[in-house]
Amino acid sequence: MALIELRDVTKSYKRDAIDIPVLERVSIAVDAGDFLGLMGPSGSGKSTLLNLLAGIDRPTHGSIRIGDTEISSLSERALAGWRARHIGFIFQLYNLIPVLTAFENVELPLLLTQLSKKQRRDHVMTALGIVGLGEREKHYPRQLSGGQEQRVAIARAVVTDPTLLLADEPTGDLDAKSAGEVLTLLQRLNQEFKKTIVMVTHDPHAAERATHLLHLEKGTLVEQTALGR
Amino acid sequence: MKFIGLVLKSARRSKRRTFLTVVSVAIAVFLYASLRAVLDGFNAGAEASSSTRLITQRSTSLMFSMPTSHTEAIKATPGVQDVAWANWFGGIYKDPQNFFAQFAIDPESYLRLYPEILLTPEDRRAFLEDRTGTIVGDGLAKRFGFKVGDKITLQVGIPVYGIEDFDFTVRGIYRTGGNAVDNQSMWFHWKYADERSVAPGQVGWYVAEISNPDQAAQVSAAIDRKFENSPNETKTMTEQAFQSTFVSMFGNMNLLLGSISLAVVITTLFVAGNTMAMSVRERTTEIAVMRTLGFPSATIFLLIAGEGLLMAIVGGLLGVGLAWWLVNPDFLQVGAFIPVFGVNSTNVVMALGLSVVIGVLAGLIPATMAARLRIVDALRRVA
Repeated sequence: MALIELRDVTKSYKRDAIDIPVLERVSIAVDAGDFLGLMGPSGSGKSTLLNLLAGIDRPTHGSIRIGDTEISSLSERALAGWRARHIGFIFQLYNLIPVLTAFENVELPLLLTQLSKKQRRDHVMTALGIVGLGEREKHYPRQLSGGQEQRVAIARAVVTDPTLLLADEPTGDLDAKSAGEVLTLLQRLNQEFKKTIVMVTHDPHAAERATHLLHLEKGTLVEQTALGR
Repeated sequence: MKFIGLVLKSARRSKRRTFLTVVSVAIAVFLYASLRAVLDGFNAGAEASSSTRLITQRSTSLMFSMPTSHTEAIKATPGVQDVAWANWFGGIYKDPQNFFAQFAIDPESYLRLYPEILLTPEDRRAFLEDRTGTIVGDGLAKRFGFKVGDKITLQVGIPVYGIEDFDFTVRGIYRTGGNAVDNQSMWFHWKYADERSVAPGQVGWYVAEISNPDQAAQVSAAIDRKFENSPNETKTMTEQAFQSTFVSMFGNMNLLLGSISLAVVITTLFVAGNTMAMSVRERTTEIAVMRTLGFPSATIFLLIAGEGLLMAIVGGLLGVGLAWWLVNPDFLQVGAFIPVFGVNSTNVVMALGLSVVIGVLAGLIPATMAARLRIVDALRRVA
């Protein structure tokens, strides 16, 4: 059974009583351990699809199952709890909390768990170790480079050991070197730690790191490619 | 508990803004506690008044006096057990700014009727035996450093007492046994003042002790009836009513001070609320990120509301501390006007309660805004 299953998912937004369709009858299945790249031009619905998978937006029609959970039917409260347990989200602009240190930023999702302070510390240091920033735990985001900020954001995304990692243009704001490091890190999380990843990207170089590619255009799925890694 | 660090960090995000918000709450709470202390001080005297003491004054105003001949007539009224009298002296000690109350009293009867004036037997005897002797409250003694045996000279403040200075010897320092008497006053022999008065034989007010407090109204009426249609008609009332009348000379203090407090508190509420709302608007993306990480709306609400509450409580503690330190008789020296003056524990609790109310109300709208934020819209605003 696929880890992610979308069936006939449609999403439209209302603007002044006019329905603007963003996704139309999209059906996909992603297996556990896949690294899926979502590509397409601006406005094709990539980010909307990612938001639906993250449970931060709801489909207009259709169903989304992730693992055993039909998330489109969950209440807001249940959805928040589900996100905390199953989703790690990586943003294009890192979105670290500026008043918190790298350690505290990574610790943030763990505050929602029952872990003790020591257990939280162990988890955070492990996550920071994976992204190679163990020695930067006390640094604030303003004291880090863009690439380092994004690696801290990745540590924050993986610290709860989520079922699914979602990345929205994770290299979109980085120089080529930093982008390469981030992509290598994502690839390592996929291959070494068996994390299922869905990544939205414009960048063909970034897309090459994925095991599967989906191309969206005007809200519909136009191409599905297995890269065979 | 694990979220407290998050609240503290958020509050320190814009130190200047947090500081100004805390200060605005502190000022509001300080004003509230101070004005409350003034009101409590005015009311304390009335509340602590004896139910067995009646005060007789001229029907026209406390400003006018009555002849000493009223004494026997009041004493002969059924229900009256004892009578004492007093005059407002209004002297000046060195400088008009050194204001404190001075009363010329009939010492024997006054000390009998006011057991709240606590003196050692030796001081009491020394005072009674010395026509120019005086007793001062321990608060007043502390304020000016008066000791037993010291000489005090008062300049005449009211022309009726002539133009020559009055010299006194401190014969005792009294403590108070209740709020009906303050510890910031000076008491001396009525005869000493009267013998130099240009209109001798005049009394400012009489104090009558009655045996049954339930008969206060009848006895008061009986006293006043005795002087009806005379040149010196009287108005007799319970000590509590007298104290309240004294307070009302300043106008409707409750309404005035209450209105000031309310205006300050409401203004602060808007200031704090607006600051919190501004802070939430600036953090829209952060809040959306936290929601994406799985923070429930309720937790976001509590975090934002907690931040407002924290600032308000810190401000409240500062305001109350400042009021506790500044608003007391030693510092402001207004005890002569306000018998029991200072920020008491009830006042502290109410002021801190007020800061909590400010914190909760100011944080309510911003916290609701944050909790209701649509994650996708908030993320799109910046992305």
